[in-house]
Amino acid sequence: MTAVDAGRQPALTGASQPRRRGNPRRRGGWSGYLFVSGYTLLLLAFGVFPTLYAVYLAFTNNRGQFTGLNQFIKVVQDYRFAPAFQNIAIYLVMWLLLVVVLTVVVAVLLRGMVRPGLSAVFRFLYYIPGALAGVASVLVWLFMLDPAVSPVSGLLRAIGFDTFAEVLAPADLPVIFVLIAFWTGAGGWIIVMYGALNNISDEVLEAARVDGAGLWQTAWHIQIPMIRKWIVYMAILAFAAGTQLFVEPQLLQTASLGRVNPTWSPNQLAYVYAFQRGDFNGAAAISIFLLALGLICAGILVTRSGLFTADET
Amino acid sequence: MTTPTVNARAGRRARPLVSRLAPAAAAVAILAALLIFFVLPAVWLLLAPSKTAGQLVADFPLSFGSFGQIGAAWKHLISYQDGVLFLWLRNSAVYSLGSLVLTLAVSVPAGYALALTPFRGRKLLLTTTLIVMIMPSAALVLPIFLELNLFGLIGTAWSIILPFSFFPFGVYLVYIYFATTLPRDVLAAARVDGCTEWQLFRLVALPLAKPVIGLVAFFSFVGNWNNFFLPYLVLPNSDQFPIQVGLNQLLSSTPSFNPVAGAGLNITSPELALAIIISTLPVLVLFLFSQRALVSGMLAGSTKE
Amino acid sequence: MKLTRIPRLAITSVGAIAFLAGCASADATNTASSTDSTAFKPVTQDESATITVWADSTRLPAVQAYQKANPNAKLKIVTYDGSADGSTYLQTKVQLFDRTNEGWPDVVFAAPTDVTWASKPTGPKAIAFAAPLDQSLVPKQTLDNFAKGSLDPCQFNDHTYCLRNDIAQVVLWYNKTLMEKWGYSVPKTWQEYQALGEKVAKEHPGYLVGAVGDTNSHESYFWSSQCPAQELVKPDTLRVNLQDPKCTRMASLLDSLIAAKAISTQGFFSQGFDGSKVLMANGPSWYGQYLFKAAFKAPAGQITAAAPLAWDGESTAYTGNVGGGVWMVSAHSKNLKASTAIATWLTTSDANLAGAPTYPAYTPGAKAWLANPANKNYFATDVSSAFQTAADEVWTGWSNTRFSDATPWSSVVLPAITAGKTLTEMLPAWQEAITNQAKSVGYTVTTK
Repeated sequence: MTAVDAGRQPALTGASQPRRRGNPRRRGGWSGYLFVSGYTLLLLAFGVFPTLYAVYLAFTNNRGQFTGLNQFIKVVQDYRFAPAFQNIAIYLVMWLLLVVVLTVVVAVLLRGMVRPGLSAVFRFLYYIPGALAGVASVLVWLFMLDPAVSPVSGLLRAIGFDTFAEVLAPADLPVIFVLIAFWTGAGGWIIVMYGALNNISDEVLEAARVDGAGLWQTAWHIQIPMIRKWIVYMAILAFAAGTQLFVEPQLLQTASLGRVNPTWSPNQLAYVYAFQRGDFNGAAAISIFLLALGLICAGILVTRSGLFTADET
Repeated sequence: MTTPTVNARAGRRARPLVSRLAPAAAAVAILAALLIFFVLPAVWLLLAPSKTAGQLVADFPLSFGSFGQIGAAWKHLISYQDGVLFLWLRNSAVYSLGSLVLTLAVSVPAGYALALTPFRGRKLLLTTTLIVMIMPSAALVLPIFLELNLFGLIGTAWSIILPFSFFPFGVYLVYIYFATTLPRDVLAAARVDGCTEWQLFRLVALPLAKPVIGLVAFFSFVGNWNNFFLPYLVLPNSDQFPIQVGLNQLLSSTPSFNPVAGAGLNITSPELALAIIISTLPVLVLFLFSQRALVSGMLAGSTKE
Repeated sequence: MKLTRIPRLAITSVGAIAFLAGCASADATNTASSTDSTAFKPVTQDESATITVWADSTRLPAVQAYQKANPNAKLKIVTYDGSADGSTYLQTKVQLFDRTNEGWPDVVFAAPTDVTWASKPTGPKAIAFAAPLDQSLVPKQTLDNFAKGSLDPCQFNDHTYCLRNDIAQVVLWYNKTLMEKWGYSVPKTWQEYQALGEKVAKEHPGYLVGAVGDTNSHESYFWSSQCPAQELVKPDTLRVNLQDPKCTRMASLLDSLIAAKAISTQGFFSQGFDGSKVLMANGPSWYGQYLFKAAFKAPAGQITAAAPLAWDGESTAYTGNVGGGVWMVSAHSKNLKASTAIATWLTTSDANLAGAPTYPAYTPGAKAWLANPANKNYFATDVSSAFQTAADEVWTGWSNTRFSDATPWSSVVLPAITAGKTLTEMLPAWQEAITNQAKSVGYTVTTK
């Protein structure tokens, strides 16, 4: 369509061709390093070194001896490993679909069909659950999911659940966790997507309307491609957050007084290894598996969308 | 290109009523359903302190109890361990605000540089950041603990503030923002005019970045305010706990979750609900105040394409 | 070229495999290679050092009372969750402290499961967190005065590593008013209990004689039946045999009563549970105050307890135990004298125990507790004899393990019986769950 993409064309200033490596514009190079120095320090301290240490842990035992792949083999053979990864796979599919599709749809709707004042109210209301963390969610969902005391008990009974215990049947758990995770997480992403949509200049949208595009056509052909980077970013983080699922199963385990398997998700298993058995090496091995899973997805998304190329969208 | 006087709606008038209304109806349905989904549990939570524990179970879930009950719940809460609730709130404020300042000081320049300043290692930094964000925290807690101990920080507020200030999510937000919204030619023009990078950053980029700064500040504050696991693990004394860890302790003192707990502690579900509401207020208040910042504004038209 | 690449690849992979095969074992070992673990060497002592006490919110008042009664005692009090609800906070913190070699609390209130790891080093360079109290810290007389079997969860390597704060001996709770109204007599054996349950189901449907849906219901029933679900036959060998007649008899008893709807598959503590329909409950001594009074709000003077049920044909009655905390003294403590003093005061002094929230494990203290009217006047009759009898009848074959016994029960059995399965058919799955859990924390599991 129209080639109005801010920043798409690197401007030729005429004086010198910008070169990417060993550039003569040393000014840009040095300040670049300076600007990122603070962050890089923190990245090294709380990101890189711990991750490297965790990798080191995954290949050694607690006496410091090199164990090759034995830690990985050990955790794979744990009877809870396979079920946990099965659970997370089911969860991820549902979670990713729901979060990517619904947040973009809602953001588009709020941007395109609702007046700004009203849309601010909606965004505030959608965000409220995001402000409730951990313990708050435990209490709230303990009551929401219990047909005896829930405001939506009619709905629960209509689905066929008469007691809290029935709601927590193992087959229902992925859906419940997706619901809770969506409840707490979607609000923030809706804000981000909305903000991204808001950066698309009105001229573009005017042009589309004049050309006869309806809301959904505008969304599909113009808005979504323009916020592609944001969507990819959200997908990567949602996927990563999904692989690291911990809080929701843990809180439901507390709320249900133990009826939910304490190692439902692989991250919970990693915590059990680390903090119940003191086996930080095994925990690191499980974490590496999860990391690999997240990286594969991230890698695919990043390379196909060009998230890292700064000079083009 | 476009005639500014054309009425946007002119193009739509030609379409039949049904196809115009259908998306509207669907939109309303989606927005309304989601509204109920998000808000109903919060409404329940808001009403919970006005009822006793028994009423929470027996009465209509969305009924209002009494103001007297709210007062009683409040009394029970502040007498729990002699008002430790306020101490916890104060701790949360210190940790969150302290790391907010540090986060902004560090993340905004970094995101700017990653987006707009070519330098060697840019891609490496981005990739590393992404990898680190994906690494599950269970494996990182021990190394971070050992590191903090190495520098003698265990037991100080820095043991919380420094790790909190590492906010790769924020750096990415700033990076994407600058990469997609700041026009290259503005910067190029300014560079040609002889601006230093620092001037560019301060005079051109920062003013335009107010929306994303607001976004990063908000998410940083909220993320840190709600963070449970790091303080839980790293703080040795219960009077240093932030509110989230404190809430966890309250939970284990609630008979619903721990039947033998609370001989005389009087912490039941309504008190817990009240504590949760109190702990959430700062976040919601901040949200209200940062509404304008969170809705990123339009680009000041500095360029024409 | 393609042809040379294959042999090169083969060589490198064979080399890699050979290299990796020679790698060390992935298992975590906790003892130093020179096993000198029996000798407990205190660190340099300083009798004026401040001690750090970790207590949970419920025990905090007791610690504060000690401070008040001993103004010269230098205490730093820290509250934490007390290992409630399966929290592993203490274990985690101790592991981290072991790595940094500092920071341990001196006295902690914990759950019995904590003693299983605290009595051993957490890593090759660490020493066990808990100090062996029987080695010159607490006199033998004192230790002997704890209720029979109550210090068993503290015993490892022939040493006592903790003092029991309270016990939760299982007794037979019943609603005296209703029983008299309907002319029922209080059962003395499990067989009578079953008969009564079936009668109640016919004559007064809707009334319950028990519930199995709680996270620890199995301790009230299967432990009482002496079921070998986790019997430590050797230091690291666990006997798990749920097909033993002592298990199957309880399973079929419960199944018949569940089928008759005299026993609920819900938990007593589930939200909205109707306590007014509970005629009888086989449960711990703390049910009186915390279930009937606090949760069910049953009026005073209705509920009382009877001694545990026996099985027809067995001369001794055994019962279960559902809970009870422990106090541990840290082996790293710089002021063992003060630490032991407070731990002993908390678990043995009448001053503390008379007003304790739950039944003390220390027998003289329990007498003081029973003499305190506040602990008894809610009940219809004097519960002292029931409580005291039960305190000495707790079966010692249900061992304290490194894993929580609630997990297999709550996450495997309870969902299944909610879905309609019977306990008898779930016994194999339950056994497998316990076995898997046990193996994953290093036990050898046997059925003999």
